Amino acid sequence: MIPKQLEKILLDVQKPSQYIGGELNSVIKNREEVDIRLAFCFPDKYEVGMSHLGMKILYSLYNSRPNWWCERVFAPDADMEQKMRENNIALYGLESLDPITNFDFILFTLQYEMSYTAILNMLDLAGLPVRSKDRKGLWPIVAAGGPCACNPEPIADFIDLFFLGEGEEVNVEVTELYETAKKEGWSKEKFLLEASHIEGVYVPSLYEVSYNEDGTIKAYTPVEASVPATIQKRIIKDLDSVFYPESFVVPFTSIVHDRSQLEIQRGCLRGCRFCQAGFIYRPLRDKSHTILDCNAKALCQSTGYDEISLTSLSTSDYDQLGDLLDDMLPWTVEQKINMSLPSLRVDNFSEELMKKISKVRKSGLTFAAEAGTQRLRDVINKNVYEDEVMETCKTAFEGGYTSVKLYFMMGLPTETMEDIKGIADLAQKVVDLFYSLPNKPKGKGVQVSISCACFVPKPFTPFQFEPQDTMDMLHEKQKYLMSCVKSKKISVSYHDADTSYIEAVLARGDRRLADAIELCWQKGSKLDGWDEYFDPQRWYDSFAEAGLDGAFYANRLRSYEEVNPWDHLDYCVSKNFLIRENRIAKEENRTTPHCRQQCSGCGANKLVGGKCFA
Amino acid sequence: MRKIRVFFTKLGRAKYISHLDSNRCWQRSIKRSGLPVWYTEGFNPHMYLTFPLPLSLGYESKYECVDMKLMEDLSDAEVVQRLNDALPLDIRVFACAEPVMDQKEIAWADYDIFLSCDNAAALSEELSAYFAQEQILVQKKTKKGSKEVDLKPHFSVLKQEVEEEGIALTLRCTTGIEVNINPSLLLENFSGIDKVETTSTCRTMVYTAKLEQFK
Repeated sequence: MIPKQLEKILLDVQKPSQYIGGELNSVIKNREEVDIRLAFCFPDKYEVGMSHLGMKILYSLYNSRPNWWCERVFAPDADMEQKMRENNIALYGLESLDPITNFDFILFTLQYEMSYTAILNMLDLAGLPVRSKDRKGLWPIVAAGGPCACNPEPIADFIDLFFLGEGEEVNVEVTELYETAKKEGWSKEKFLLEASHIEGVYVPSLYEVSYNEDGTIKAYTPVEASVPATIQKRIIKDLDSVFYPESFVVPFTSIVHDRSQLEIQRGCLRGCRFCQAGFIYRPLRDKSHTILDCNAKALCQSTGYDEISLTSLSTSDYDQLGDLLDDMLPWTVEQKINMSLPSLRVDNFSEELMKKISKVRKSGLTFAAEAGTQRLRDVINKNVYEDEVMETCKTAFEGGYTSVKLYFMMGLPTETMEDIKGIADLAQKVVDLFYSLPNKPKGKGVQVSISCACFVPKPFTPFQFEPQDTMDMLHEKQKYLMSCVKSKKISVSYHDADTSYIEAVLARGDRRLADAIELCWQKGSKLDGWDEYFDPQRWYDSFAEAGLDGAFYANRLRSYEEVNPWDHLDYCVSKNFLIRENRIAKEENRTTPHCRQQCSGCGANKLVGGKCFA
Repeated sequence: MRKIRVFFTKLGRAKYISHLDSNRCWQRSIKRSGLPVWYTEGFNPHMYLTFPLPLSLGYESKYECVDMKLMEDLSDAEVVQRLNDALPLDIRVFACAEPVMDQKEIAWADYDIFLSCDNAAALSEELSAYFAQEQILVQKKTKKGSKEVDLKPHFSVLKQEVEEEGIALTLRCTTGIEVNINPSLLLENFSGIDKVETTSTCRTMVYTAKLEQFK
């Protein structure tokens, strides 16, 4: 039954089907027969959150326990939020339509820093105090995981417990501990203390932070002897045996990634120095192609999707890609299922591979060159050469493609205007290449799109010490790039510098940012990933009111000795390794071979018992 | 190849699925069901489905249908079974058969409507007076803008009962590919003494011009 209050407002909002559940494969259980209720919250809109693979995995995993019921929750759009608040409707789970206020767990996934205020807004919509210390009872336990949990300090005051690393095991262990806690009537404090003994669990309230006079951190000290001084992330050692969902919830309304997704590997062997994902998900682990083929068949069968994407951080680095495509092509072609391969690298995109993927419908080609000159590509350890970009584009054009998208970043360490000009030059060379080909696609012009992001220094990367370019510098570089582009065949889009700056503050921020985040939410920030809702001034005002200087976090060069807010979290890439890589990049301008070529000694091998590629 | 017409209900949560989304949901469900349906040929093959009557967002229905073509001969019962196994719970197939009539023959549809209000008896009288007018002129939005339509010839009241919490109505409205009159259009233009709220609308049957059940 749909609650009457909800019925009353649903026809007054855009796309009501996103607020009512009932989708194919959503899991409905009997309230009376479950012991643990979990709300898996994605702090963004339905169309974004429903695209997220991690949520699909954990949703299915939790629900595989008969006495646990995990439901999906997303941030309502502004029109829905207003109606909910006017009618006193608390944030509810899409499966039961029950308010999540008294659920056992409220879980957030931290995919990007700009979603932090959405977390506060969702807690508030659920009728809960946003600060952890103001939620006294055992339930709900508000927990969070995902990539941003590698520096969760800015939101440490709002969240009771963080999961570090991959969740398939640790989330289950914590929920099992909670079952005991609930049965035995533990206090929240006792539960959190016990949970902190589980590997991969970080309970921020169990650590005290002291600061130096210059505002940097002096130390993180556990409040009790049994609390670990450093917390090591969790990984799944063997992807072949780990749980993978056989079905996805299939939405009615269209979402960003409306397709089946097959996770072919975790981790990345490349070590691009700007890329957080390339370090925090180490070590690289492959899943075998035969198991993937079975997973893929089950997913397509259970969802009815006509598209499946092979996801990973670097798809063409997957050793068994050829085998996997050979397994999958016959049945996907027969069933008219389109296969897509995002995250291809230009240095190993072969003609053979392209022929295989072009048997299904053509979609756009995107390559990440990241920087405009070889010098800078070496600094960031991209290990991609211009002739490889050209060779790949040639293959693509000869194969019938007429548009290519190239990804770049600006504001990278050591960058000069020469490097910015290099972006435009590279795009121009691609245009010229197209017209020089005798066998280019007929009757069509070429379109080269440059997409340029602003570099944001992130924790656990060799660039974690680096200052971000100031906004003035970024704006100047953007202007200069535009002036360098001469051809109408080249289009340029770039990221908003304000967003990147705030992201940089939050990414390497500490606990003192909590006040600013709360203030910003109170000023109306709630869906800051969306241009129409984002107002940078709110953030600047909030930093000022909280007595904080954003530049301290974003634009300051940090010494190797400084204690970072994430130094007590162990993602198994050692600080010494990061320092070494930072030096090689800046002082020697040298690249580091990828993990299969030579071990660079990052430390992640200890997670798999000594050797990454056994 | 065999043409089939599949009849289904769209109730409960499914009323919030728009026509476009509903179409996509059917495509995926058919794919899940593994039914050998016919795809259009050409550069970008897609499943050939036709829905004669879009249902407005927020309406439930006990009598919806969709036409498709089967490449292999399967019994009607098997088609019903396989579709129900694949569809979301709030969309249920209750019959499958060879189409008897042309989709163009659809002329009328019945709707059960509940109007919530405080003073139902008084309001019901006002409503009767509204229905009894010689002409009921409303602005109807069309693709080209909006035009004035007289609703009077396009509906009849089959039931109007005063209940505790409001008025239960059954309306028969002109329906079809050429002219389609939504009961909401009629009711939105009525302003009674109290605030009226349409709490539910459900299409219950579809007919031809001769008032034969559409099959």
